[in-house]
Amino acid sequence: MNWNAFLEFTRGPLFNIALLIFVGGMTYRLVRVILLGWKRDHVPTMGSKLGGVIKSFIKGTLIWPFIPWVKRTFSKNPVIYLAGGLFHLGLLAVILLGAPHMLVWKSLLGFGWWTLPLPIVDWLAAGAIAAMIALLINRLVNPVLKLISGPAEYLNWTLVFLPMVTGYMMTHHLFFRYEVLFSLHMLCVDVLLIWIPMSRISHFIFYFFSRTIHGADFGKRAVSP
Amino acid sequence: MSTQTALNTFVKDTGGWAASQLEACTRCGMCSEACHFYQATGVPEYAPVWKIELLRRAYEQRFTISGKVKLALNIDKQISDQDLLDWSNYIYQACTVCNKCSMVCPMGIDLGTLIHDVRTGLAEAGVVPADLKAAVDLQLREGSPLGVTDEVFNDRLEWVTDDWEVDIPLDKEGADTLVVFSSIEIMKFPQNLAAIAEILNAAGENWTLSSKAREVVNFGFYEGSPERTVLFLRRVLDNAAEMGVKRIVVTECGHAYEALRWTAYNITDVPKDLEITHITHLLGEYVSSGRIKLAEGSLNNGTITFHDACKIQRRGGHIQEPRQVLKLLAPDSFKEMTPNKEQAICCGGGGGVIAIKDADPTRYAAFELKIEQLEKVGAETVVMACSNCRLQFTDCVQHFDLDVKVAGLSQLVADALIE
Amino acid sequence: MSEETIYQRLQKQGVSRRDFLKLCGTLVGAMGLAVPPLEGSNLPGHLGKIEDKTILKVARALESKARIPVIWLEFQDCAGCSEALTRSQSPTLIDLVLNTISVEYHETLTAAAGFQTEANKESVMQNYHGQYVLVVEGSIPTAADGVYCTIGGRTALDLLKEAAEGAAAIISTGNCATFGGLPKANPNPTGAKGTWEIITDKPVVNIPGCPAIPEVFTGTLAYFVIFGALPELDDLNRPITFYGKTIHDRCLRRPFYEAGKFALSFDDEGAKEGWCLYKLGCKGPTTYNACASLKWDAGLSFPVQSGHPCLGCSEPNFWDGGGFYQGQSAPLNRPGLTAAGAAVGGGLVVGAAMAAGNRAQKKRAASGLEEEKNQE
Repeated sequence: MNWNAFLEFTRGPLFNIALLIFVGGMTYRLVRVILLGWKRDHVPTMGSKLGGVIKSFIKGTLIWPFIPWVKRTFSKNPVIYLAGGLFHLGLLAVILLGAPHMLVWKSLLGFGWWTLPLPIVDWLAAGAIAAMIALLINRLVNPVLKLISGPAEYLNWTLVFLPMVTGYMMTHHLFFRYEVLFSLHMLCVDVLLIWIPMSRISHFIFYFFSRTIHGADFGKRAVSP
Repeated sequence: MSTQTALNTFVKDTGGWAASQLEACTRCGMCSEACHFYQATGVPEYAPVWKIELLRRAYEQRFTISGKVKLALNIDKQISDQDLLDWSNYIYQACTVCNKCSMVCPMGIDLGTLIHDVRTGLAEAGVVPADLKAAVDLQLREGSPLGVTDEVFNDRLEWVTDDWEVDIPLDKEGADTLVVFSSIEIMKFPQNLAAIAEILNAAGENWTLSSKAREVVNFGFYEGSPERTVLFLRRVLDNAAEMGVKRIVVTECGHAYEALRWTAYNITDVPKDLEITHITHLLGEYVSSGRIKLAEGSLNNGTITFHDACKIQRRGGHIQEPRQVLKLLAPDSFKEMTPNKEQAICCGGGGGVIAIKDADPTRYAAFELKIEQLEKVGAETVVMACSNCRLQFTDCVQHFDLDVKVAGLSQLVADALIE
Repeated sequence: MSEETIYQRLQKQGVSRRDFLKLCGTLVGAMGLAVPPLEGSNLPGHLGKIEDKTILKVARALESKARIPVIWLEFQDCAGCSEALTRSQSPTLIDLVLNTISVEYHETLTAAAGFQTEANKESVMQNYHGQYVLVVEGSIPTAADGVYCTIGGRTALDLLKEAAEGAAAIISTGNCATFGGLPKANPNPTGAKGTWEIITDKPVVNIPGCPAIPEVFTGTLAYFVIFGALPELDDLNRPITFYGKTIHDRCLRRPFYEAGKFALSFDDEGAKEGWCLYKLGCKGPTTYNACASLKWDAGLSFPVQSGHPCLGCSEPNFWDGGGFYQGQSAPLNRPGLTAAGAAVGGGLVVGAAMAAGNRAQKKRAASGLEEEKNQE
């Protein structure tokens, strides 16, 4: 197996196609939802909708995921809060603040930025992988999750897990040569890019819709979101 | 029953607002952590995300490619007749539409309103629990689900006016405030009529009741039927217009406030200059402005706590007002339950649940969470501003043989009035 | 060319037995072989009795073998690999190795030219058929019947096949001869190929690099000369001794990579402090070569040490690897603005069409419900 040629393919033409499908697919998803029709809200506000939206985003993105007890709800299942938060933290740290990924963004956007030292990113990546495993176990064991999970949910988990694990193996030179791991990593990333617009992983875009709606609704009623 | 009707309703009512939120769901299951029915019974079908499953199916299978593919591959199922029956159970008997789930959802999805949309579909298809249907019919025919006809209304008014020696204006011309009571208060907590009347009189309000707009409860809203919701709303709104009032005050009822204040403007005509408010808000205003004088510290004996009603506090925003009152009346003995305010746990009786006999076991199971809260804070008295909650608490105190007093907020204020 | 052994030749040049054994030890090191420690002796190896089997093996080989003829063919090359070899700073070693071989044909180095030197090559190939080492430098053009590189009227392709036929071993030196090098870069107008893509019936050792590190070349050559066999090769036919580790894994600036300290331009504080060059496009992580350990100019320095990011010159297609200053991790292909715009446009159109269809469904559902109500 010519791994060098395979690496060139997965970093080259396949990545190109995957990114195009990703961009086109996400546009399709957004447009399909946005053009479905929106009704005006005629209810007079009691508080500030904008204030609610801002609060909702700050709390939702920065505070709640990492301080679960701030929510003061029935935290009888802390796994989802902690593992979910750790997973997202690790994922974002790795793909935004890790030097190798920052260089990918730089090649796509034309500008780069400051990155974290490798050991910190490495630990966060390990944390994210551990969190993912915890989340999978939870999904297999929790009665509600068993009810609502189908093949799509497990496929989502797998296609997100594989790039993380191959990336980690790459950094640590585990079991295979660098170009083997690099090409597997790129293959998994390409498949993931193609899959995202077809799946619920696209929630990272719809997050902005639901959080805005949530913040506006609570702000309107003068309740803290 | 027509499954097609339900499906058509789901399709018709799903626009960008619902679609973007249905797309946002990541199947994380966190909403079940907030649902008191799931927490109390452990039935996975009670998870809020599963409650809106019918809506999701309709949306995905009709509007998305992946939904159609899943259907073709037999990974997903169409909505069947049996599904409607099953969901009628989850939606009407194991949900009070308290909307705590939307606070816990990491995406911020408004599950409460989406659940209401499912109710709409089921209502249009006629798959509604018999007790609830009966109550709706009664309200259609007699103007009130608890049978408060013209006669009954006048009777009760007369009795309250006499027994409590309080002045209650009825159909007063030139009043600027229309006060509309719920039949729960009229029939089960008539002392509320007296209490609120006393308070409004002490505050010098130019207010009145109306014989035509005598019922603020809206069982069409519980049912989810848009027509019947509007029908019952119009009975109040048309009369308010007729009387030329500037303001409607909803008394101690939760869902009625949600229907009138937060929903009516989007489903029927409401004049822009008409103010709609809740008695809780007025209480807070009167106390903080000194418009009524209360005996400070008069409730300083025995731990007293406040139960936040889902539709008045979490969904209504009147969170500080009860605390303003209670800090005045019970500065040392008032203790908050945990969680509280907008995070409070629902009483378990709202959303029409208490009207459905078959839902009793689930309702009592859900209340055990409240018992835990009450015991933890060591409450001797629990106060609330919603009479449906009060009905649930009263019923459950009896059912569980609890040693705690249940009180209405207006009642306490009226009792503490000093001339 | 005489039949005297290598040892005899060295003796003639005045190399003592002691020095000879020292040189054998050095050769062992140059080939990247392990030298196990001497047992039971406090004296340094070259003064005590030589127990070491590897050094002895080398000594025996040099004592028994005559110099091996080498035919060095240059095709689409810059002669840089040859130049590097001759400009090496370690005369003893290079000299020694060149003393173990006899370069019979070399376009750049031989004084003779023209038909005479071609005739000499012919006779070597005939007389030492199956015994000579063929070294190839430069890529072989294959487009238009190989017309882009001809010597004496014959195409490079032809010349290569002819020389390879009788070779005991074939060594490609430099990225051009191994992987096609610069001529192969996009759009590859000459159809340039590496030796091993053309000669497929014999093992071809690849010594890539631009140029190849001289000591790597000579170490490999010495191995063949002494042991008569090829060293262990990786899946790109590169000797694992020299190409077994990446620059990244032996780089002196690695701690800065780990610590997240990167030079962001060639004259900033980071550059002056000698920080990692990853963000300036260093291809170290994917480049297998001995630069970071063996270094250049007899261990003087290598590009990264001197402040320039690794170009990845020992890897296939490094010229098309995204650019010398683009991050090593960046994708090689990305959609241009037109393609991206087309994708977005496509998504818009299909999304709008889908939404329109969905809205029509909503209307139909609404009218369906209306009808139902009217019927009741």
